[in-house]
Amino acid sequence: MSARMRREAHVEEAQRRADAANQPATGGPTRRSGRDRWVRPFFKQYRKALAVALALGVATFCFASGLMFTSGYLIAAAAEMPGSILMIHMPTIFVRIFGIGKPILQYLERLTSHDWVLRMTSALRSKLYASIEGDAILFRRTHRTGDVLGLLAEDIGHLQNLYLRTVFPTVVAWLLTVVVVAVLGFFSLWFALAMLLALLVVVVLVPLASVLATRARVARRKAIKNELYCELTDNVLGVSDWIFAHRGAEYLNRYRSSQRVLRDVDVELDRFARRRDLISTALFGGIAVMTLLWAAGQFGGVHGGTANWIAAIVLGFFPLIDAFAPLSTAATEAGSYRASIDRLNELPDDPGNCGKAEDRPVRTANRKNARTEDAAAAACAPQVVLPSPGAPPTIRVESVRFSYPEAPRPVLDGISLEVRPGERVAILGRSGSGKSTLASLIRGDLKPDAGTVELGGVPAGSFGDDMARYLGVIQQQTYLFNRSLRENLRIGREDATDEDMNNVLERVGLRTLVERLPEGLDTLVDEAGVRFSGGERHRIALARVLLQDVSTIVLDEPTVGLDPATERALLKAVFATTEGKTLIMITHHLQGVADMDRVVFLEDGRIELEGSPAVLARESERYRRLLAFDRGFPSRSHA
Amino acid sequence: MLDRAIFALPGVRRVLALLASASALQALCIVGQAWFLATALANLWHGAPIPDQTAWIALFFACFVARQGAVYAEDAYLETYAYDRADELRQELLRKVFTTKAQVVWDNGTGSVAAAMLEGVDQVQAYFRLILPKITSIVVIPLIVLAFALALDWVSALIMFIMFPFIVLYMIILGRNAKDAASRQYRTFQVLSNHFIDTLRGIDTLKLFGAGKRHGASIFSVSERFREATMKTLRMATLSSLVLDLFSTLSIAAVAFMLGMRLLDGTAQLFPALAILIMAPEYFKPIRSFASDYHASLDGVNALKSIQRLIGAPDGSDHSCELPDWGATSRMELRGVGCSYDSHRVLENLDFTAEGFRKYGIVGASGAGKSTLVSLLGGFLAPDAGDIELGNTPLPDFKQDGWQRQIVYIPQDPYLFHATLRDNIAFYRPDASDEEVARAIDVVGLDDLVAELPCGLDTLVGEGARALSGGQAQRIALARAFLDNSRRILLFDEPTAHLDIETEMELKERMLPLMEGRLVFFATHRLHWLDDMDEVIVLDDGRIAEHGPLAELEANGGALGRLAAQTAWETT
Repeated sequence: MSARMRREAHVEEAQRRADAANQPATGGPTRRSGRDRWVRPFFKQYRKALAVALALGVATFCFASGLMFTSGYLIAAAAEMPGSILMIHMPTIFVRIFGIGKPILQYLERLTSHDWVLRMTSALRSKLYASIEGDAILFRRTHRTGDVLGLLAEDIGHLQNLYLRTVFPTVVAWLLTVVVVAVLGFFSLWFALAMLLALLVVVVLVPLASVLATRARVARRKAIKNELYCELTDNVLGVSDWIFAHRGAEYLNRYRSSQRVLRDVDVELDRFARRRDLISTALFGGIAVMTLLWAAGQFGGVHGGTANWIAAIVLGFFPLIDAFAPLSTAATEAGSYRASIDRLNELPDDPGNCGKAEDRPVRTANRKNARTEDAAAAACAPQVVLPSPGAPPTIRVESVRFSYPEAPRPVLDGISLEVRPGERVAILGRSGSGKSTLASLIRGDLKPDAGTVELGGVPAGSFGDDMARYLGVIQQQTYLFNRSLRENLRIGREDATDEDMNNVLERVGLRTLVERLPEGLDTLVDEAGVRFSGGERHRIALARVLLQDVSTIVLDEPTVGLDPATERALLKAVFATTEGKTLIMITHHLQGVADMDRVVFLEDGRIELEGSPAVLARESERYRRLLAFDRGFPSRSHA
Repeated sequence: MLDRAIFALPGVRRVLALLASASALQALCIVGQAWFLATALANLWHGAPIPDQTAWIALFFACFVARQGAVYAEDAYLETYAYDRADELRQELLRKVFTTKAQVVWDNGTGSVAAAMLEGVDQVQAYFRLILPKITSIVVIPLIVLAFALALDWVSALIMFIMFPFIVLYMIILGRNAKDAASRQYRTFQVLSNHFIDTLRGIDTLKLFGAGKRHGASIFSVSERFREATMKTLRMATLSSLVLDLFSTLSIAAVAFMLGMRLLDGTAQLFPALAILIMAPEYFKPIRSFASDYHASLDGVNALKSIQRLIGAPDGSDHSCELPDWGATSRMELRGVGCSYDSHRVLENLDFTAEGFRKYGIVGASGAGKSTLVSLLGGFLAPDAGDIELGNTPLPDFKQDGWQRQIVYIPQDPYLFHATLRDNIAFYRPDASDEEVARAIDVVGLDDLVAELPCGLDTLVGEGARALSGGQAQRIALARAFLDNSRRILLFDEPTAHLDIETEMELKERMLPLMEGRLVFFATHRLHWLDDMDEVIVLDDGRIAEHGPLAELEANGGALGRLAAQTAWETT
């Protein structure tokens, strides 16, 4: 079984990679959104650290240049044989200062810039989280295929690279240009101007030209690569069919020809980069010669004396090339981050405190953990009084209609349903019949297009995050965070004690298992060797919901993918631990249905059949047929 | 950072020889540009007029550009070479995956293979391109520069020479220390860096518990803790480049100082002094860049290793032998067959015989080995014990072309390619006529779907296109089987496990007729299917616990009875 799990994990990973190729966050085609909310606004944050890092970056190159400058001067001055060592005392001191200072500055520069970028990352992550948090549940539902969230997290990583590898060196080079021109201006205005023009060519014109020249090809390369990526992933995932169909060789030929197209673009891009580098080198050589000629004209013509400066200035120029040369590559590289930035900009704007003002209820008085943002939210909310969370509320669904955007037919088309406190209701239907949509409506994550959904007389949509105090959900896939078991359980109740946790673990039948774990509750859930099985994961989910201590529980097909014995044991545990609570079980087959008070069949957005299992078994031909089918061969015990 | 595999590449000696000459050319340009520039500067210092220096300056410029020209030629050559070598790896991988049935592909999961093929090969290509010229430049350039420095001024050359082994030694020591420090911190590091993505993935869970906002605050604090941990590692890691830098700048400062001293007392001349000073930074450059690319090359080394592991795995047995078509009187026998997975025994001592067009149901609790048995029969796995006989032909395993071309394999989630519905249905018979496809669609009950799709049979389905339900995917898999009538063996691996009961019921009606006239192996934990099987194989912990017709097993009340009792629902 572990093999299958592993394969699934790989498939997920591959899908994520394929998604990276073609999925914008909101699913639709990529639009260039109007405002950049993810790059520039963050420069203002941590301005000081940024300024320090940039200053250090500039200083590093100044010192590198200074080392060669003073060395050149030292030698030239010594060659005059002034007779006294004191005459070259100052240059020798500076040689040492620059020699020691340059590596140290560079070291500090690297640390500050990384520190700055990582601070930025913390802020970006918070922002990303806040952007998604508002509509988290729907976001997960509408992006079921592939791992968009993983993709977005990677995008943040790309922004880091953008800062460190493109923005930062470029700004340093520009600042350095200013410094160089200013220093030269001190000696000669005309030469400073010439130098400015020459440097503008290498720090602005060449990078810009190479971006413009390669942009189309880079985009084309990316498109081809994405296509290749998706195609290959698709076919590797279906490899067993290629092998069984004996068509493997056919695919290899197909792949080779697509690969060749990509290769052609790559070759062109590489050739361009090489030529550009050659031209840049010629430019730098030209600037060096220009500097030499100017220095010779300015200070030359004498033996020694001011002529000492010629060697100093020329030698001082060379280390600066290291600052200017990488700009073109950096600029071309920046284009590849475009998709990431677009994807982030497409996310909903930070909802802030009053994002959903119209739904916000006033908090009931007995809240345990009043938080400041709650108060802020409450301030901009209308007056809704929530029911007390102790007893299960009556759930009333009144002629509800609901369609997903762009779907041809409504998912729910006039549904009315009342679930009384403590009642156990199974909602049965095919995939796509609207079962899960109904659950989302009850939890208030979706709002009906028509009709009402109420819990204890209050519209479900107005509970907001407080819904978690009334209603718990066990999902199809239980997500366990890669933290300790204790932390995973505490998501149910923040202040749960070890005793509370051991109690619920006992109730869900996991106590002995957990006690046998090497570190008990402190075991990390995904640590090698401690992989919980599907059934165990759902039991942990149940424990979490029990800690949450809610009066209504929704089971959203938690048994899909479990074998019947495990499924049966899990359902037994759920039923045994939720006595007295309202239970809504969404399911696609009959296991456990016999223990429910009522069964509701959904079909084509309507309630097709409804009644207690006993009555249905007596009166409904359809239900009987399903029962007979499910039971299988005669001797199996009754369902 | 250097992998020995580099030196085993085809034609690598020739390449290294060429690269060495390119490096030598670069070194000569470095010496040349220093020489000519120093000449011009020395002359100017002596007060010579500028126009007299034109030739020297032009020569300097020529060397300066020629050096980049050497880099150009080197890179152009190497780019092709690196691509060709990487492409060979890619072709070999593709061949392995799509044609050889190598065990390694199934063991590693197809996703990781795709990743190796796409990103891994690119990383390897980049690695070759990065590392090969460095191997030669780190040896050739310092040597040549040093030789000329020696000719110009032996004291400076000595300083430069003494520094070099120090740098190498220091790099080794520090590299090792940094590695230790990094691995000590690795655990916390991992946990912290995964925290964000982990929280994002579970964001709906947090929301369901009303804990979304609360965890939002922890995102920032954990991320900040991650920053602190990263900075701690970085302080150590960049320390090595600090010291390397320091060695080289201090060497330059020392060379300048010693030259100054000796110029003062007239034991040195200005021209050689300037030339050496210009050359000195270039002397240290190769080793510094070798160190700074350490991390970039690490990815490449790892990718190369994992690709070579995939490629190096055996192809599976010789699978070219012809086997007769399976017919009503065919017979297949397994004797004492066993199978391991991750050195863990999954199937043990299986004995059974399958004959003609009979239907075999395979049941058992989770982990009893149902899927493994189907994988074995489909040739995804090779047995490591026992004998297989097909008719009178002994087979090492089922990875035989002659066997697999007779099989249709239908897993729990049949894979749909990102292609048209028609291409998906006719995957096993791309040459099928429209009538044949239409009939297949009719037989498996896909007419409704085809009518509903905007472009009918030409609609794109699969990942990233029109999504189909599990039941529809199963029907497409069945249609594939129906279309290729020459395939007389059907392998099912829990085909209805995650379908809703009504879909399962409809599908069963379509499936049963297709099973007639075929040898069927049907692994399932939905026991109602057993009614329609000729024989039932009950697996328990990798062994056959019971085997026989359903009625017989029922009467026994053995393993099957216990299995049925485990899954039955007695009302409380």
